[in-house]
Amino acid sequence: MAKLYGDTDKFGEQNSTPVVEAFHTAVRDLVRRKFVESGQSWSEFVFGAAQQVITQSEFAAIDARLLDYGHRYVWSAVVSQEERPEAYLPGQTAGEDLSNFSFEHPDAITALPDAQGLELRGVGDNVVKYATDLIGTARYVRSSATVLAYLNSGVPPGTIAVIDDSGGTLTAPILEQFTGVLCAGGTVRSHLGILTREYGIPCFMNARISGLKEGDTVRLETTAVAKTAEAYQKGVEMTGRVWRVNKPA
Amino acid sequence: MNLTYAQLLETNNLIQQNTDETYWLCLTRTVQESKLFPVSPYMILSYFMAFYRYPTLLRKIETHMRAEEIGDRVRSRGIKCQNPAMGWGLPNFYLLGRQYLISMGLIRPQDAVDDIIYVLDFWKRFQLAWHRNDAHMTNREFGHRAQILPERRLQIFHADMYDCAEGDPLHTAAQAFMAATSQYGFLVSCESRIALHNQGPYKLDDEREMIVRDFMDLAEGDYPWLDGVAADVPYNNLTVPMAVKGCHFNIIDDWGSFESQPEFKSHHMVGVGLYTSDCLSDTYLPVGMESREELTHTFEMLTQKAKDATGRLWKRIAGWTRDQMIDAGAIVYFSICKDIAHVAGCYDSADWMLIDERAERFRPLLNDEYGNLSLYEILGPLSHPAQRGHDYQLAQHANIPANTYSLIPYSILDDADYTRTCGELKPGITYLEPKQDRYRTTQGVLSLAEYNRRVKAFTPSLCGEKYRYKCESWLKYHHDTPLADEMYRIEQVASRRLKDCGAGLKRADIEKLRD
Repeated sequence: MAKLYGDTDKFGEQNSTPVVEAFHTAVRDLVRRKFVESGQSWSEFVFGAAQQVITQSEFAAIDARLLDYGHRYVWSAVVSQEERPEAYLPGQTAGEDLSNFSFEHPDAITALPDAQGLELRGVGDNVVKYATDLIGTARYVRSSATVLAYLNSGVPPGTIAVIDDSGGTLTAPILEQFTGVLCAGGTVRSHLGILTREYGIPCFMNARISGLKEGDTVRLETTAVAKTAEAYQKGVEMTGRVWRVNKPA
Repeated sequence: MNLTYAQLLETNNLIQQNTDETYWLCLTRTVQESKLFPVSPYMILSYFMAFYRYPTLLRKIETHMRAEEIGDRVRSRGIKCQNPAMGWGLPNFYLLGRQYLISMGLIRPQDAVDDIIYVLDFWKRFQLAWHRNDAHMTNREFGHRAQILPERRLQIFHADMYDCAEGDPLHTAAQAFMAATSQYGFLVSCESRIALHNQGPYKLDDEREMIVRDFMDLAEGDYPWLDGVAADVPYNNLTVPMAVKGCHFNIIDDWGSFESQPEFKSHHMVGVGLYTSDCLSDTYLPVGMESREELTHTFEMLTQKAKDATGRLWKRIAGWTRDQMIDAGAIVYFSICKDIAHVAGCYDSADWMLIDERAERFRPLLNDEYGNLSLYEILGPLSHPAQRGHDYQLAQHANIPANTYSLIPYSILDDADYTRTCGELKPGITYLEPKQDRYRTTQGVLSLAEYNRRVKAFTPSLCGEKYRYKCESWLKYHHDTPLADEMYRIEQVASRRLKDCGAGLKRADIEKLRD
């Protein structure tokens, strides 16, 4: 079998994630095979025959092989899972019942309710420091269907949107109507962080929370210091707290 | 082209500059994800497109206009030739495509060497011209700052700006406009931030700073998906000079985003203006700037236009297939630097709005998991094997033995074992609706042929041979000459406060002239 240039790499070993390693190994095998079959020098092959013989269907076969082994991809865009459910892990559906759903972060810091009924359910990275904490009603927004429903009916006043998408497009037509945002991903520099700052909507990004349910009254410690780029760079924790507000016992 | 050692030394330095900055940007600035768009898959597809197409397209552009002349022309306009596009996107999308192909064994670091040298040289020449007034190549080199504009333009932004304070109608309208238009920009750009750009800061006095904020590609123009939904968006590019008090913009990065100390809040904004510009405008044209009331109403009108277009566009996108979403996202990313073709008057939709057939081959690999993880590896832990270096190495910022991008080996000067180019342009495909022949410009809605024709026939007044090299250094010592006065008067022609004021004023004089 022919050697590729990278086969004698002194320092590189393999990709750190299995899917990437599987794909790249398969592509390199494909390149070796096609290169040998071409009978050409590398210089002739690389931007000549390679572009005809290394085809989309060859790449599709690599994808199919991994699925045949039983692998199912983790999805991030809803459309990916909806269009190809056989290739992706199960996901939420358009009609998902959110009444008992909650984000469950493994590192969420929680505590029992205090005397005021504040029950710690986690922390998040504060985008902008405000003069007062924010209290509102937690409502999950996880799909285009939910966004469309709110687009038609209006977002209920006092909504703190609980979102697992740090982008700025899923909630684009209704973001302005949120009282606050609690996002389970991203950083304060993510697009959702940038947009909430522009709108003046209090927001926690990278929220590590547990047990918050649809309709819970929630309090965000938006008086906490905003997380800085330097803190991200140095790995410094700089968070605000997230409480469920229970009626005092 | 005969390769020289000096060429390779410089090219590898340019590659390394992008390695260092890209790691910092990705570490500190963002985690990009979306449940609407398959972002990582489209980003990777765009990198392949950039690798295969940029060399040919840049060479084509330079048959019409040199990179450094394009840089000169776009300094005084807020079009998509700014930092996200040219400062970072152009070199890094190309280099990321190259790095992916190296990681997959499809090319070697010494393949397409003429292309690599050329793309980075084009980038360098453009950047040096665009940054001419601060004499840097990138914001990074300037400590994350960008002072692009000449004094004569800054004086106009300063003089014509209206003061505002939190709670007053202008402040409220301007803040709402920037929020709604930012959001619209993210949607137009399929979840990327490339419709937005900030430059500065510029010092107004000891308490106030100004940044210049661009919102680009908003109307019917290059993107097929804006046909119809953006028909009543009246300006393709809008620029807001924004004065702040009580915070300092300590970072304006090469993605054109800012950071301040303390963090910017709306009450810090104490002054705003509004302008439009494109390849057919002589410089920035004021929009609604005749009175405070007119500006307030203009912001309100544009906010509503942006919100309405956002709703229409969101519904269109929500109905797209995954392939359509990937096409739109990949095209947005790949075409990040397309406006240089507009400036040169040689824009062709088939060059920029199609997926190159060589890149299209990779689509079956681009599932969400591979997309997210391979991108994470190539930008975060730098764990693609081709990125790893010897064990003594400490990369800037990352402190690990790895670099984002492979350097070109100098050994090719000995053995000539390298290839020169990936080849000429190949056909492209798309799952999107075809682009309608309507382009919103400052001279109305034009066909593309007419748009290109007018651009070819147009030279901005201050970019003509008479003025081109009359730089800020020259003006410092010749402000009292008729030629300097002429240049300031040309820039001032549409200024409410400075029309015909000429070259003699300094910043303190401008402050006294303000409303």
